[in-house]
Amino acid sequence: MSANPYVHRPTPGPQAAAAWTRRQIVMTNVRTVGGRAYPRVRGLAREKSWLFFEILLPFLTTSAFVFVYRALQAPPEYVGFVVLGGAMTAFWLNVIWMMASQLWWEKSQGNLELYFAAPMDIVAVLFGMAFGGMVMSSTRAVVVLVIATVLYGVTFSVAQWLLLVAVFMLTLAALYGLGMVLASLFLMWGREAYHLTQFLTEPIYFVSGLNFPIARLGLLGALAISVLPLAVGLDAMRQLAFADAAYPGGTPPPEIEALILVVMTVVFLGIARWMLRTLERLARREGRLSIRWQ
Amino acid sequence: MSASAPLAIETRALHRVYRSKPNDVVALDGIEIEVVPGEFFGLLGPNGAGKTTLIKILTTLLLPTSGTARIFGFDVVHQTKEIRRIMNMVAGGEQSGYGILEVREQLWMFSQFYGLGSRDGWRRVDELIDAVGLDEQRRQKVSTLSTGQRQKMNFARGLLNDPWIFFLDEPTLGLDVSAARAVRELILAWKAAVPGRTVLLTSHYMAEVDELCERIAIVDHGRVLAIGTPAELKRRVQRESIFRLELDRLDGGTASLARLPGVVAASAAAADEANGHDDRQTVAVNLVLHDDAALGGVVTALGGLGAQIQALRKSEPTLEDVFVELVGRGFDDAPDDGRDESQPDGRAAASEPRRDDEPAEEELV
Amino acid sequence: MSIDPAALDSPAWGGFDPARTRGQGLRDVWRSFVTAAQLGWRNEANWTDPILFFIYSVAKPLSSTLIFVVMIEVIGGAAAREFRGFVIVGTALWAFVVAGIAGLAWSILDDRERYAMLKYVVVSPSDFLTVLLGRGVARLAVGAMGAVITLAVGVVALGLPLEVGRIDWPLLSVVMVGGLSAVVAVGILLAAICIQTRQEAWSYPEAAAGALFLVTGAVFPLSVLPAPVQVVGWATPLTWWIEGVRLAVFPAAPSGIGGAGSAFAAFTGRLRPEPYEIVVALLATGALVALGAIVGFRVSVHRAKERGLLDQTTGS
Repeated sequence: MSANPYVHRPTPGPQAAAAWTRRQIVMTNVRTVGGRAYPRVRGLAREKSWLFFEILLPFLTTSAFVFVYRALQAPPEYVGFVVLGGAMTAFWLNVIWMMASQLWWEKSQGNLELYFAAPMDIVAVLFGMAFGGMVMSSTRAVVVLVIATVLYGVTFSVAQWLLLVAVFMLTLAALYGLGMVLASLFLMWGREAYHLTQFLTEPIYFVSGLNFPIARLGLLGALAISVLPLAVGLDAMRQLAFADAAYPGGTPPPEIEALILVVMTVVFLGIARWMLRTLERLARREGRLSIRWQ
Repeated sequence: MSASAPLAIETRALHRVYRSKPNDVVALDGIEIEVVPGEFFGLLGPNGAGKTTLIKILTTLLLPTSGTARIFGFDVVHQTKEIRRIMNMVAGGEQSGYGILEVREQLWMFSQFYGLGSRDGWRRVDELIDAVGLDEQRRQKVSTLSTGQRQKMNFARGLLNDPWIFFLDEPTLGLDVSAARAVRELILAWKAAVPGRTVLLTSHYMAEVDELCERIAIVDHGRVLAIGTPAELKRRVQRESIFRLELDRLDGGTASLARLPGVVAASAAAADEANGHDDRQTVAVNLVLHDDAALGGVVTALGGLGAQIQALRKSEPTLEDVFVELVGRGFDDAPDDGRDESQPDGRAAASEPRRDDEPAEEELV
Repeated sequence: MSIDPAALDSPAWGGFDPARTRGQGLRDVWRSFVTAAQLGWRNEANWTDPILFFIYSVAKPLSSTLIFVVMIEVIGGAAAREFRGFVIVGTALWAFVVAGIAGLAWSILDDRERYAMLKYVVVSPSDFLTVLLGRGVARLAVGAMGAVITLAVGVVALGLPLEVGRIDWPLLSVVMVGGLSAVVAVGILLAAICIQTRQEAWSYPEAAAGALFLVTGAVFPLSVLPAPVQVVGWATPLTWWIEGVRLAVFPAAPSGIGGAGSAFAAFTGRLRPEPYEIVVALLATGALVALGAIVGFRVSVHRAKERGLLDQTTGS
């Protein structure tokens, strides 16, 4: 403890205090990620209803799709497709509910202006939200995947483990990149955009082929593969995780889809960064960083 | 701080116009202020005067429509990161943060935004929690704090990064007397700890500004009407000396005093409430003199009249008197949001009620 | 300070009117309900906004249906064609379920976290539950639009065999009233839960609606489930509601409850329940759920008052 609580890290003057090294800048952003993830993680520990609503119920929803295929006496790999889709849904929901709409929420709660008034990059805040939320979504994905696999006897036949892991990681990177783009859009459009979270559930599930091979959607599927990380990532993972199954053709091989994901990640992160900067400039120009003072 | 050090705050011809229908609103109309490092500077004005808009511009949250503003030499438009590293802000009624977190956790989260190491952050948070007097609420959820406790937490947040300049926007809004006093003491203690620390306080509580600020700018309708120390500002409205006398008797009434040399006016006043319960009969008189020197003649004259002085008090003008003098109305009569739509062009109407004998705004500033 | 008794006696002059504390019974309840419904309508069902209309009434319910339709098409076969009609009806009705449950639960989260109005709603003379029901009704209307549009698309584009002349209107009317009441009851239950949870509970209503898919025979016959799970389905009013609507509108459609190998067939010796059985089961299970919802809601509000949850914001 220092002798005077009002002096923590003395600096010779404001000019020196404002001149940060590159290391200081990087470390502040890294710490911001941890700092913003913290409430998410503590929230999970403190209020456990999510175990029921975010783990058990989604598992039951996935089970419902499994039983649809069972009722249709579909080949067993289709159950695997559904289970994989159910697991990946967790990340998509995390992106739209706990990231895309979050900046708008922060504005409503009066936090956004404090974020912008602090020296870190707002992208670091978004990453923090993403990592914090990922604790829950990863738990959900693992639970759905493991229990459904055991319960419904899903058999995986992975040909290229490394590529599968890479595709999974790339899918997450592209998904969260898209989440950042959406976060900027949501903030700009306000409440109207909030309704778009609704548009981003079932319609996106459908065009992403969450419960069936996306090749069946023809042109719509091809379009989805070119713009939606969930669609292309899921298709690549299905090809890689069920290598022995008779997977309907019509989509690019997983290697190409991995490349598509790389491009998506770069493009989405680039757009997100540009949009967040533009957004800050616009918001500062129009006085839209807070609701309270408008 | 060296003599050549840049000003803590410097604004030049600062304008801010909000685009709105049916008329644009001029929130700042050519604000020019200079605040030197280490100064406690106040912005005094009614609701809608433009105080918050100015703070938002200075804290890099809002762009000016035209003009420039610098914080310790850093431009608020282009050098935002530098400014954000050395400033912090607290607003009255601030409800920021996450209700599910404890006070300590909430503050630690913000400490990370300012680059404090994890352990260093926890240490700093604990220090500040003690300093602001929240030790009993350390592990309490933010959503359960009272208004006063919440504002103390906001102050702890604002001090996390050792700011060189602290922007306080109505920081005691909604606080009770003791909580407001605690907040004021906190600000003064923080500022005194390091020479050069600067505070910009906005408030419409006259007494608060009077007590805390070394210099004050009175703003209304986006314009600075006057700048000076509280004493300087009060002197501008006090052209005569005003005294209040309490006498045991006054034969001949106040007219006998009004005739004396140097006396501008003498009038009977209501006795103090405290004396109302006293058995003694007193006569209260308000005396307006050309200057203090005339008081000697009055005292001599009273002796001649056989009257004994039981109390004598010099009346000081308040900042409210200054505001009324400058604007021609009190705070309570001010429009609510600073976007006075009765003015078709959105321009401030501050000069309109001014009497002809008042100096022009330029002369005051 | 003295009080002038005359002021108390003269409500017309702004004095205190003791009659105001007594209220007007059912008239107050009705007025609260109508006001809340109008508020909900303006808030959620803005028909003048074509984007919102499209999202809630077309895109969401139709996408849900299309997911199942494509799943069926992927597998193909003769059974699939019959199954398609079964799924379209189930998912169309599900638009009510999602809208009904989400509307009520989101009203709580909206009022507490976004508008910070929940405490004012609670302290107003209006009954909290009545206000909540009013808000929920607006969303139910949105759900109705979604259901109708999905069914229309099903009939026009997906070959759903609808014969208006063969619709059993009395049965349809009874099961719709009973079913929608049950949906609202489930919504109240979710709202009671959301009073206790934090801001991130936005996705809970949809999660609950998704999980109910499993046991209600909405998208596949219960007969494919293990027998104990089928029995859980029987205890759910939504199961009987969907069965009743299917029977009333598409008499030839397969039963979601019965069918070869089902627990129902094993238990009753019949392949599908009779209309009266459906109605009785719907009303009985619906009444139980409604009772549970009301009790749950009252308990939740009481607990919220005890713990000071009504005016908290809980974001993380």
